[in-house]
Amino acid sequence: MVRAHKLLAVLTCLALAAAACGDDDDSTSTDDDSGSEAGGAGEAVTIEGGDSMSSILLPKCTGIAVFDQANEGAQEAAEELGADAPEFLGPSTCEDPTGQIETMTNAATQGVDAVMISNNAGEQIQSGVDAATDSDVAVVSWDSPIPSGEGESLFVAQVDFDETGVVMADMALEIMGEDGGQFAVLSASPDAANQNAWIAALEEALTDEKYANLELVDTVYGNDDADESYNQALALVDSNPDIELIMAPTTVGIAAAGKAMTDEGLCDRVKVSGLGLPDEMREYTESGCAPQFALWSFVDLGYLTYYATYGIATGQMEAAEGQTFTAGRMGEYTIEKDPTRDSGLRVVMGPFTVYTVDNIDE
Amino acid sequence: MPEWTRERTWELLLAVILVGTVVYNASRSPVYLDVDNFVNLFRLSIEKVIVAVIMTFVIVNGEIDLSVASVMAFSACVLGAAYEAGVPFPLAIVLALVASAAAGFLQGQVIARTGISSLVVTLAGLIGFRGAARILLEDRSVGAFPEWFTDLGREDLLGPLPFALVLFLVFVVVAGVVLHRTAFGRGVFVIGDNADVARYSGIAVARTKVVLFTTSALVAGVAGVLFAARLGSVRANIAEGFELDIITMVLLGGVSIFGGSGTMLGVALAIGIVLNLRNGLGLANVEANTQTGVIGALLIVSVLVQNLLDRLPLRRREAEA
Repeated sequence: MVRAHKLLAVLTCLALAAAACGDDDDSTSTDDDSGSEAGGAGEAVTIEGGDSMSSILLPKCTGIAVFDQANEGAQEAAEELGADAPEFLGPSTCEDPTGQIETMTNAATQGVDAVMISNNAGEQIQSGVDAATDSDVAVVSWDSPIPSGEGESLFVAQVDFDETGVVMADMALEIMGEDGGQFAVLSASPDAANQNAWIAALEEALTDEKYANLELVDTVYGNDDADESYNQALALVDSNPDIELIMAPTTVGIAAAGKAMTDEGLCDRVKVSGLGLPDEMREYTESGCAPQFALWSFVDLGYLTYYATYGIATGQMEAAEGQTFTAGRMGEYTIEKDPTRDSGLRVVMGPFTVYTVDNIDE
Repeated sequence: MPEWTRERTWELLLAVILVGTVVYNASRSPVYLDVDNFVNLFRLSIEKVIVAVIMTFVIVNGEIDLSVASVMAFSACVLGAAYEAGVPFPLAIVLALVASAAAGFLQGQVIARTGISSLVVTLAGLIGFRGAARILLEDRSVGAFPEWFTDLGREDLLGPLPFALVLFLVFVVVAGVVLHRTAFGRGVFVIGDNADVARYSGIAVARTKVVLFTTSALVAGVAGVLFAARLGSVRANIAEGFELDIITMVLLGGVSIFGGSGTMLGVALAIGIVLNLRNGLGLANVEANTQTGVIGALLIVSVLVQNLLDRLPLRRREAEA
């Protein structure tokens, strides 16, 4: 329970808008930033409003709670900066990547200042991104990056992708116990770069002997569709009768798996974990079906993404390694090389919150 | 002088709607008339568009092919699987096209020989060929195709003209000539109007149907390969639901779902309307769900108006005799 308390503290911190207990050296220092407006790499910049920026916030698809939350954060940031509200546009289903390509290409034609994308089209998005950069549209990815890193100014990562693997391995270990057992992954779509990176990180983490008794036996895809994910969860139990846990690194998948196990009365045998939204998971966590799961704030992710994008598109900062910037209420961040891709830059938001029955109502 | 028929009236209406759409879009978005946008307009939908052209034949013939989107995915997955297995790329393309044509030949034979409704047979095809695509690639996505191939999919211009637009125009003109100016095309109309009459008039009904379904699947296969070139990688679930967009274009074009009437010009105009409408709404930042709703509403209205036209004392232009 020690960890839950620590997390509670982190949560409280966030709730208090980081003013009192955030990183001591940022957020309160808005007064001494004069002269840093056109700062080069390495020079700390406080991103300020005043310029206009037209932009599109492009989620993997619409109708998913976490993307609505990200939009909420981006709108909040735009309002603070006095910029045009970003257009929230995306395909209506997560299954078809061509909708994202179309929106990206249209953005290039429209000549908006920036597109913020959670990429669901894998490397297929590249033609759209190339068109955008040819038209001087700043492309910033969030949640899920452009695999090649080409044409993308920056990736705003929710958490460190390697850490995601460790967090999932830890949750699996706690739920399944020291004697371990078999478990399986229920992911989103096979082209979702973030989910693929997390699963790879999970596999990497599992090589540590601490997790020697945990055996990952299968990975299936529910395409972030509630119905498909539900069926895939049941199919997993049928085809792997010995699994004790379904790990779903997607909010749609974990909720669908929780419902599937609950409906079929399988919760005693198969637990559910992964990345989930407290509102969608409360029932299953309280029933013990999903004893613990993790997530970060998507509102904050949208907020930080907007600030970073605004800084780049208005020329206040460079998208360069070592560039430090202050993003409103969230404080200071530094751009670094993305170690999870061959090329590309990232900013890591963090932190993870692990939810259990003790803190799910916070 | 063209005869003043039901089809002519509908074509005129479509032309008015198309011009209206273009004017409206141009007034809403200053970038709409850019050459770049015109290039994208066709490039982003070329796969659906060429299948809609061949679907026109199938529907005029009194049949329907629901399997086209699944055959597109099947073709792309055959291409991907063959390439992954080390087959030289040009040969992999040939394999994909042969597999697609074979899929259509099979369906055509069943429809022509057993008399089972094409709705049922190609519904089975819709499920079956999608399944075959999934068996081939499972959940994987195959990419890293040769550069010349992906370049082809991203080619903007052929000389001064948009590549996809040229492809579309050539295809639609050839298809229009075949449908309206050849004995084969006449046969397609007569069969669609009344298969028994066609049979007694000595038209090879079964052969025509087999040819149509084989060609339909072959064109879907080409569309699948083009799609692979544009996306740069393939997966079993690509093109899902495309069959409905394709059939929408054909019906909006004034082709009767009961067969026997319709024109290639009407379908070409309808394609222009759907593409321009989607593009214009996209540039106006209208979300995807609303776009689909607008096009659905347009289809309903068009069917109602066509129904009304049928009651007017206009002659049907049959078989371009």
